[in-house]
Amino acid sequence: MQWSILQTDVDARGLVLDPRTKLLLLITMAVFVLGGVGSAKLSFFNPVLCLVPFFLLLLSHRVKTAMVSLLLYILAYLIMLFVVPHTMGLINYLLLGTGVVVMRLLPGILTGMYVLSSTTVSEFTAAMRKIHVSEKLIIPLSVMFRFFPTVIDEYSSIKDAMCMRGVNFGGRNAGKALEYRLVPLMICSVKIGQELSAAALTRGLGGNVHRTNVCRIGFHITDTVVMALCAAPYVGLLLSWCGVL
Amino acid sequence: MIEIENVSFSYANSEDGALSDVSFRVQKGEVVLLCGESGCGKTTITRLINGLIPHYYEGELTGSVRVGELDVTKAELYETARVVGSVFQNPRSQFFCVDTTSEIAFGCENMSLPEDEIRQRIAEAAEDLEVTTLLGRSIFKLSGGEKQRVACASVAAMRPEVLVLDEPTSNLDMVAIKKLRKILLLWKKQGRTIIIAEHRLHWLMDICDRVVYMRCGKVKADCRMQEFVLMGACRFKEMGLRPLYLENLAPRNSCRKEHGESILLSDFSFRYKQAKTLTLDIGGLALPKGGIIAVIGHNGAGKTTFARCLCGLEKSCKGVLKEGGSVQKARQRLKCCYMVMQDVNHQLFTETVLDEVLLSMRKPDEAAAEKILDSLDLLPVRKLHPMSLSGGQKQRVAIASAVASRRDIIIFDEPTSGLDLRHMQEVSENLKQLCGQERSLFIITHDLELIMECCTHILHLENGRVIGNYPLDFEGCKRLELLFGSASVNRGNALESPFENRLQNSGSFKICKHPKAVEKKYMHQNMAN
Repeated sequence: MQWSILQTDVDARGLVLDPRTKLLLLITMAVFVLGGVGSAKLSFFNPVLCLVPFFLLLLSHRVKTAMVSLLLYILAYLIMLFVVPHTMGLINYLLLGTGVVVMRLLPGILTGMYVLSSTTVSEFTAAMRKIHVSEKLIIPLSVMFRFFPTVIDEYSSIKDAMCMRGVNFGGRNAGKALEYRLVPLMICSVKIGQELSAAALTRGLGGNVHRTNVCRIGFHITDTVVMALCAAPYVGLLLSWCGVL
Repeated sequence: MIEIENVSFSYANSEDGALSDVSFRVQKGEVVLLCGESGCGKTTITRLINGLIPHYYEGELTGSVRVGELDVTKAELYETARVVGSVFQNPRSQFFCVDTTSEIAFGCENMSLPEDEIRQRIAEAAEDLEVTTLLGRSIFKLSGGEKQRVACASVAAMRPEVLVLDEPTSNLDMVAIKKLRKILLLWKKQGRTIIIAEHRLHWLMDICDRVVYMRCGKVKADCRMQEFVLMGACRFKEMGLRPLYLENLAPRNSCRKEHGESILLSDFSFRYKQAKTLTLDIGGLALPKGGIIAVIGHNGAGKTTFARCLCGLEKSCKGVLKEGGSVQKARQRLKCCYMVMQDVNHQLFTETVLDEVLLSMRKPDEAAAEKILDSLDLLPVRKLHPMSLSGGQKQRVAIASAVASRRDIIIFDEPTSGLDLRHMQEVSENLKQLCGQERSLFIITHDLELIMECCTHILHLENGRVIGNYPLDFEGCKRLELLFGSASVNRGNALESPFENRLQNSGSFKICKHPKAVEKKYMHQNMAN
């Protein structure tokens, strides 16, 4: 139940963006926030970009996650701005380290969370097909969407079983705890994977005809806004290369 | 419609479920029940029909399988998929999509139907199978019964002529079975050909036209349902089949040692993070110590949550367990309770069966471990990897490790789902043996036959509350029979609807007895003839 991150509930997800917009957002986040491309000249824009996932999470009814991470981000930002310049040595090191990690990683992780929790498998495949990705890539990717939540489900059952047996990382069999977790996990995953593919095959997956997709995706005003926000840093980067900025 | 001729098959890496020289035909519109012990080849036949053999499960196949005009052994799987729809046993692993609507659309999308047509079919299938309220939901948030209905809907949307169901009720409660019954009756009315492989027979009596009984990969009997029904209970036992009627069962547990001591539970309430209401709400509860307590209730009644709280797995549950003089909170309960999970694969970690038992002991003692293994008939396999064992053996290994860790309370989560008569009785023997020692067992189950075999007490949960807590004596039996009787209906077609309504409205036991009397009379007459 606590792992609802990966489990899309169509009724209760609030704002809907086109998967392609989400993909663009994800790439932009990775390039500019995580990768820090053109950081010196575009650094003023990064916080703006970073606010996007917080808003998206807010709009998709994940208020608590959004607020907590927003506070964390602001805290890290303030520390970087006001505290770090006044510290020295080890403390400076630690603060700088955590600050950078939070500021660079957190927005990316949140975007990923948003994308996974708000995209259904059929939306995803529809989008992939629209940007002409090969079926050979789409099918395994869509299976992954389905498979991860299952594996997480299995993992939590196994964790419970370990807990009942008193096997944990702190206990008597600490050294083997990892092995004890992985062996049943792998066996269960393989079994489920097999049954899943059998079920999919009996529903005609992998035919020689072109699959239809009932899922209607398309761009709306919100998509345009997000895309414009995403386009801005690229334009900035181009301009800076041309020497304008 | 279906022609299976001289088919022999053996799996590439297993001896179970092989077929030798099987032939039979199924007419269009016929509803056929495949029954027999586990490993007799029922599932193999369903796989032959939907083409998973030889295209997905590898092995040696001779003979021919035709469905309509199609040679299934040669046709591609996606061609067969248009004619044959399949519903499988495990509701967890037969969904390709993460939300219900796309799942129902999935098959049609693969058939490359136009979009509008698919939408129309989704609406229609959802309407027919009463899943309209479930559309657009995440499949991870559905109960087992709901999942199975969505699976049926997604098959129905493809409108196949033949439907194959492989043990569809393994994980379902009585109400869910009743709904599945309705779906099957609808399909039957639409003239579809249906093949069902199943252990629980009582719900199929008036659906199936014909019964194919299998043993060791051969068809041993092939008769009309009317003839099949007339075989006596003894004959059924001989054939290793579950009974057709649930009414004639009587409690059989002889190990009733009520020492008057009891276990007291108080303040067992629990709410999942996002849930609005309490999933479990038990203020105070007294249960007999040393009994086998059946925990019953519908899918989603809070049985599993109750078990998790009792085990101490939900640490935020503030409930306390009092036994004798000791008071135990969640943390202590984690050390004195043990749950044998529905999927035992989750709780076997080590490389050999013996290690598994040793791991559970406070002080590893090989001699004591072997003694425990011997008592559960596991000594011959002690050096094997637990994952290489059969389902029943795995379950016993889990029990052995519970015994080794000296737990007083052992909880079983649906120990007999999908088991045939012999294996069910095996489980019930194990349970009785465990209870003979100073131990209380809780069994979460939908299986009336198991309850009657071994339980001594009933705990009935509904919506997270206790609505029944009574010993399984004569009175208790009546209550239970009524409870299960009103949900399962397996009488003649003519009697069905008016009778069912009367039963539900009156809720009285007398009427429940009535049709049995009629049936008995009928049977006597037939025997005389």
